[in-house]
Amino acid sequence: MIGLPFAGNGLVHAGFVGLGILAALLFYAYEKRRRGLSDPRLWPIAGFAVAFGAIGSRVLTWDISRQVSLADWWGNGDRSILAGLVGAWLGVLLAKRLTGYRHPTGDLLAPAVALALIIGRIGCLLTELPGTPTGGSWGVILTPEQAALTGAQAGVGLHPSFAYEIVFHVAAFALMWRYRDRLPHPGDLFICFVGAYALFRFVVEFVRGNEVLWLGMSRPQWFLLAVLPLLVWRVRRVFGSPLRREMEGTAA
Amino acid sequence: MSDDTPDIPTSPPHREGPAPSPKSGSMSMGAFFGALALYAIYVLGTMARGPYAWSATFLSIPAPFIPIALYLVVAIALAVFPRTSRLGTGLLIGLGAFLLLGGGLCVTFLAQVRG
Repeated sequence: MIGLPFAGNGLVHAGFVGLGILAALLFYAYEKRRRGLSDPRLWPIAGFAVAFGAIGSRVLTWDISRQVSLADWWGNGDRSILAGLVGAWLGVLLAKRLTGYRHPTGDLLAPAVALALIIGRIGCLLTELPGTPTGGSWGVILTPEQAALTGAQAGVGLHPSFAYEIVFHVAAFALMWRYRDRLPHPGDLFICFVGAYALFRFVVEFVRGNEVLWLGMSRPQWFLLAVLPLLVWRVRRVFGSPLRREMEGTAA
Repeated sequence: MSDDTPDIPTSPPHREGPAPSPKSGSMSMGAFFGALALYAIYVLGTMARGPYAWSATFLSIPAPFIPIALYLVVAIALAVFPRTSRLGTGLLIGLGAFLLLGGGLCVTFLAQVRG
């Protein structure tokens, strides 16, 4: 497999992130219209999700044990999709509290988030450290220059962990498209998506190449280990009810 | 007995059309100009004062966060108020775009300035 054609290129990465946000907002608008939702408060909720997701992706990864100021961390620290999702979720809660919107919005947001991650992860795949070494022929082999930029081994096949994630999100998007009107309760789509992503991400972290924090597991894995029991419990509640035959109501 | 009273003149039915909503253009304009304003503040500020000047503090708040914090407060206020919600939403999206894209664009820009 060809190495990283744009190793360390921030412009390429940012371009795909921007396209991902744009696609997510367009899908959100489409889905809102398809469901016949015209409440003007739904757009501010999307705005809060984008803004607080971006803030969360930077701030919620701040590791004070490294004795780095927040200002330095803001500029040069780690960024995380998981932290971004938590920030976006908090943003949606805040938006609902401020606007007084009471209905679940997760079913509107979940496919849009998956779409954003499909496109955004293409930027990661083209620019970032792909993963840990693999013996398979599908591994990404980096040139010495690309390896030096990403801190990886040169000439060794590396797991294309971002490609795995793209495949996951494509499958998740297809399933959500298929079942978006059939889950028992409003908001169940979001629960299932986040639960499945948490489980997938926990597994894929073993080949991601992130820094190991403790007991062979990375920081995201420890975070996921803490929240997975709650998510599993919520997902089990979803599948404890029969599927709907067709779309009912208009709540998202 | 019917509740209908056809012989009694009634006032014309009150037609409650959709609430006048701001044009959708205000959202995209807000996103574009909001992100542009943030880029201008940070890139021009960095060029004028040097990349390390942002670490100075003002009222114990790290200086780089002051523009973003003020921007966020204004954007939230506009987004929550119904008449300006589209513009406020646009500003929030602009902030998100600036933060998510700035990591790449601003670092590249600063690298060019320093080089």
